Amino acid sequence: MRFVTYLARRVVGIAAVMVGVSIITFAISHVVPADPAVAALGDHATPAQIVEFRHQYGLDRPLVDQYVLYVEGILHGDLGTSIRTRRAVADDLRDFFPATLELSLSALLIALLLGLPAGVWSAVRRGGIPDQVVRVVILAGGSLPIFWLGLIVIGVGYFQLGWFPGGGRIDAFVAPPPTRTGLYVVDSILAGDFDALSSSLRHLILPAVTLGYFSTALVARMTRASMLESLGQDYIRTARAKGLRERVVVWRHALRNALIPTVTILGLTFASLLSGAVLTETIFSWPGLGRYATASAVSLDFPAVMGVTLLAAVAYPLANLVVDIAYFWLDPRIQRGG
Amino acid sequence: MSRSHPLAILLAIALLVAAACTTTGTPGASGSASPSASGGGQAGTLVIYKDVSDLISLDPAVVYEFSGTLIVHNAYETLVQFQGSDLSTLKPGLATKWETKDAGSNWQISFDLRSGAKFASGNAVTADDVVYSIQRAIKLNKSPAFLFTDIAQLKPESVAANGANSVVITLPKTASAQGLLSILTFTIGSIVDSKEVKTHETAGDFGSGWLLEHSAGSGPYIIDHWTKATEVQLKANPNASAKPVLSSILVKHVPESTNQQFALERGDADVAVDLSPQQIAAEQGKQGVTTLKADSLQLVYVGMNATVKPLENVKVREAMRTAIDYNGIVNDLLKGNAKKVQGIVPAGLAGHNADTPFQQDITKAKSLLAEAGQDKGFSLELLVPTGPAPGGTQWSDVAAKLQADWGKIGVTVTIKQTTQAELLTTYRAQRGQLVLILWGPDFPDPDANAGPFTDYAAKSIAFRNGWNDASIADKAKKAALITDPTARNAAYKEITDYVLHNGPYAVLYQPSQNFGLRSNVKGFAWNPMAYADFWAISK
Repeated sequence: MRFVTYLARRVVGIAAVMVGVSIITFAISHVVPADPAVAALGDHATPAQIVEFRHQYGLDRPLVDQYVLYVEGILHGDLGTSIRTRRAVADDLRDFFPATLELSLSALLIALLLGLPAGVWSAVRRGGIPDQVVRVVILAGGSLPIFWLGLIVIGVGYFQLGWFPGGGRIDAFVAPPPTRTGLYVVDSILAGDFDALSSSLRHLILPAVTLGYFSTALVARMTRASMLESLGQDYIRTARAKGLRERVVVWRHALRNALIPTVTILGLTFASLLSGAVLTETIFSWPGLGRYATASAVSLDFPAVMGVTLLAAVAYPLANLVVDIAYFWLDPRIQRGG
Repeated sequence: MSRSHPLAILLAIALLVAAACTTTGTPGASGSASPSASGGGQAGTLVIYKDVSDLISLDPAVVYEFSGTLIVHNAYETLVQFQGSDLSTLKPGLATKWETKDAGSNWQISFDLRSGAKFASGNAVTADDVVYSIQRAIKLNKSPAFLFTDIAQLKPESVAANGANSVVITLPKTASAQGLLSILTFTIGSIVDSKEVKTHETAGDFGSGWLLEHSAGSGPYIIDHWTKATEVQLKANPNASAKPVLSSILVKHVPESTNQQFALERGDADVAVDLSPQQIAAEQGKQGVTTLKADSLQLVYVGMNATVKPLENVKVREAMRTAIDYNGIVNDLLKGNAKKVQGIVPAGLAGHNADTPFQQDITKAKSLLAEAGQDKGFSLELLVPTGPAPGGTQWSDVAAKLQADWGKIGVTVTIKQTTQAELLTTYRAQRGQLVLILWGPDFPDPDANAGPFTDYAAKSIAFRNGWNDASIADKAKKAALITDPTARNAAYKEITDYVLHNGPYAVLYQPSQNFGLRSNVKGFAWNPMAYADFWAISK
């Protein structure tokens, strides 16, 4: 019951965040000293075309009217029409968001599968060679610019070795699977299309490794630190004194307690992966939301910028919500209301 | 945590990796793991790697972006056309014959249509289709519509069928018949299948929603699909009169030029469009790769706002022009990847003035400033776009070079770099002081540059720079109407000579465009209007 109340509070909170974000984004978008009509129509447009365009997109109305119209649209499920692509923003988001989601989930999976064991291993073997190796990898992960890393990864994985394709989501001569989730890997499995599955996985690996490297390092660092703290606690000494096997002590007793800060980091990382994949998407020609957002911002495409921002405004609290639910599972004190 | 979880996860991952490592047996543009000796993709498909983020529509009445132009050009035919990289000789398109008549108060151009021409749908190309296409472009009134409505001064009723196979376009004497013929070669002059398009009309959109990503033309290719931010594929049109050599063209959206270079070298791409001059230099001598240097019609120039003191003084503007090291920009900064052009009509168009009277002369520039009473120097702001400039350098590098050159004559320039959108907003409102920017003609005719650069009333470039010289604007308007080519060129020589020394512009260079090609690709010719005839390409 406490959880349901808690959940309801969070949902209301998300709605409030969206209202706040929409007002702030709308205000910021409209104080930019440039005309979106000029941005859309370019250098050659005649003054008459600019006027008509401004009228068509309601840019000639007072700002408050524009905002009210926009909110009315949202309440009717209409996010407006993109000035740049001339399509419904909702359609654009539906096209581009799954690609970014698939990439971010893969990056997160890599972070989880590599970062977590590396952090645990490093903490358990503190001061040893594994620890040194992990710490160097962590340091590199935090310092390498993603653009540079992406070019190295593509240079080696695609250009030198030829093990992986150089970009895109799927081979040009392989038909994408029928859309159900928009995630090619999942849709290929659902459709039982082995060619599409193989191709989409091969396309996913390099960008996911590139995007996931920083998160992997972050997770490893956080896990290592909290594991070191856990391993020094009295209950670990007690567990060892009881004669429990070291594996059980580390993975069941120490790790479960050490996971809470890691889960927090994972939640935040995932949200930032969703909104920050732009460089990876550019290098790997990945048709995702990051590139859409950047192109929209540069061309002052307010409806698109607003759409992406609202999506991000939902993604962050949602990721936090998942984190909170994970806390519920990880920490019995929260379940008891402690 | 139960022990079965990690095992299950590991098993699942192993399966997925196995799936990923399995060769599907379908060689692909982006998917082939081994270099393909014969070039990218499948046999019969030309794979082009290009940044197509500017693509917003494939409707010929809407498209006005480089990528859209390239694709639409290959899916439709126009009444008349330029072929290859030539922009001086009009060739028959859907019209086998055309004739311009002086009908007293206006011009009348009649076109005889080629018999037997068919659209991809199998429908015959008729005069009604031509009338519908031109009227559709005018009524839709999208970005390129001004070419018909403003430049050629057409109205929907200006075009009429004269029987099933002949069309007459009437335009006022104040518009240029030659200019209209040039406009008709461009994508807005594409003839659409009116019967097909009408079946897709919704809410009076003239089928624009459908044509956004489909084609209804008689060109050598049809648009097979456009996957947003991913690729556009063209397939050969079985009803085309000119059969293309290759059955398919795949334009893949690859924004990162390093990725394009890798794919070219590995043979996954047949053509790489966006390679930098440095990358082109690196490709020299590489096995299986060749490069092509092509012309553009763009001009990179500095606009000097004549309403801002002391730029209102013609001698100050001449001093600014004289202080610039043009050779340094072209040869050192751009590594020769541009032409030194100083007139307002680019090389490649009729009416181009090949004179380049300016090269850095600090003494002369200083004496010009002294004559203007500005020997103590002055300060100005230079607006500069962000990102790469045409020709393969950064806008900021060109600006820094100008800043250094002008510094030598005591002119202190502050560089303000902004997004193109912000810069244009300021520039269009006549609020810039010095503005570094580029211009490309809307249609391949000198009037496309002479008009905007001289006519203050047109609210284009002359207006943005506060240069209101009615006599030269009038001369440019008259030149556009001259039908005799020799007399027309002479008129443009006089105009461009005048603007060279009196206008508020310092034209810096005309950039080239470079392409990386697989060696087996033959027949790739880039038209300076930013398209290539795909049907002539083989591999």
